[in-house]
Amino acid sequence: MTDTSRFPRSQVAIVGIGCTEFSRDSGVGVFTLATKAAKAAVADAGLRLGDVDGLCTFGVNDSIAPNILAQALGIKSMSFYVDQFYGGSVSLSMIGQATLALSAGVADCVVCYRALNGRSGVRVNGSGGGAGRLPWDMQFKVSAGYIAPSQEIAMAARAHMLKYGTTNEDFGRIAILSRAHALDNERAMMRTPMTMDDYLASRWIVDPFRKFDCCLETDGAVAIVLVRADRAHDLPHRPVLVQGAAWGGGVTVVNNGHTDLTESPARPIADRLYAAAGLGASDIELAELYDCFTYNVLSQIEGYGFAEPGTVPAMLASGAFDRATGSLPLNTHGGLLSEGYIHGLNHVYEAVEQIRGDAGIRQVARHDVALVTGQLGYVSGYSSAAVLVGA
Amino acid sequence: MADVSERRTIPVPDRDSAPYWAALANGQFLLQRCRDCGHWTWPARPICSGCHGDDLAWEAPSGAGEVYSWVITHQPYAPDLARIVPYTVALVRLDEQNDIMIPGRFVSDVEIRQGLRVQAAPERVADDIGILNWKAAERPAAR
Repeated sequence: MTDTSRFPRSQVAIVGIGCTEFSRDSGVGVFTLATKAAKAAVADAGLRLGDVDGLCTFGVNDSIAPNILAQALGIKSMSFYVDQFYGGSVSLSMIGQATLALSAGVADCVVCYRALNGRSGVRVNGSGGGAGRLPWDMQFKVSAGYIAPSQEIAMAARAHMLKYGTTNEDFGRIAILSRAHALDNERAMMRTPMTMDDYLASRWIVDPFRKFDCCLETDGAVAIVLVRADRAHDLPHRPVLVQGAAWGGGVTVVNNGHTDLTESPARPIADRLYAAAGLGASDIELAELYDCFTYNVLSQIEGYGFAEPGTVPAMLASGAFDRATGSLPLNTHGGLLSEGYIHGLNHVYEAVEQIRGDAGIRQVARHDVALVTGQLGYVSGYSSAAVLVGA
Repeated sequence: MADVSERRTIPVPDRDSAPYWAALANGQFLLQRCRDCGHWTWPARPICSGCHGDDLAWEAPSGAGEVYSWVITHQPYAPDLARIVPYTVALVRLDEQNDIMIPGRFVSDVEIRQGLRVQAAPERVADDIGILNWKAAERPAAR
């Protein structure tokens, strides 16, 4: 395995965050969403648009490319860009790649962004059967009527239920936890309380997943500004250092060599991430885990080393992940399940607010070290994650 | 045969994968197998997934396997699927090789369960395109 301890640890900082409203109908195009979020993030950083020389984005449906956004921002000649195909599985690879570029000195100020009209425009779920660029291996899934991420992750969730006795109620506790954390989040789309009865009464989408196991579909954008750490200390906010990042392979059904879908595909990413960061699971104080579906959260709690396989339900029942009182506050904003679905960059936004100490009523007590993850590796076979640390 | 114009779930073969889909259209379930090491490769790939050799042949496996997991889809994710929801997709581990797990519509009345023995059931959906369904190798219990 590559020795990821050579990652440029803590050399790059997140210094600005920006977002639009998260809604069911933005009323504008993704170009406008991306531009507004980028402007807000650069202003938050105390920088000027003219300082930006790198743009990174990703997307699987509607998206606006760096070369187009650069025109709106007045960037005449970019030093660095990433325009990555795929969705939430690569959300944190944006941060990782920007960190490499900045630490290498090929860019000085990079904005990572994701803008989508995920509800009013091109809806993400079911994308495998729709228009646009399709991964080559989709032909082997669509032919089975197996075209949506919900189906593929529900397949792994069923396998976990069969092996460990995990129940629908266990998944429900994750949905309820996320909703509870969204109630006092002014950005969140879902701010009415959810009970287990509400959860169990929600309709089947893909058994074993009900409606409330599935994340929202959202119009909106998030942008994140990064510069080298030595420059960050002159800027308005507490610098949030990229302590480590990792991105790479996960598990798909067409990825031979894997025989047990219950083994968290986050595990190999976790090993590389912790080596890159020089930290371990016990050092993490809060976690924003990619939650396009409830089961992803359970599998990542196992994969990132917070619990032995099969033991997460007991931890959920004991309140281990509650924002105010838990040992590992998790998805403190309500996550993709209840805040909104900005393909994972909204997890970075929340982690930065928490580390800065600016999360207001949502602020967690210990907030110096955050784990932020992308989709854990199912579907695309990619995954990504970062450890962020307050300077 | 389904109306192709309405089917969004018809696979779109390319020159690397076309033999797989064409065989299914003719009622045959074929996989690539390495003439050097005997390893089976799915989905279609340019080289052997076992030894990375170049000498692959299309061969018929037994078509037998067992259910590893399954999902029951209620949400109609494509127009042609709206007519068949709820439907069951089984993820089946092939007898020949335990790291090949293939999703396919489960088309039997037998109650699905992990370990259920199933058999490949090709279905022609267009001239040169078939899809792979799975049917139970056992009969439904008498009612």
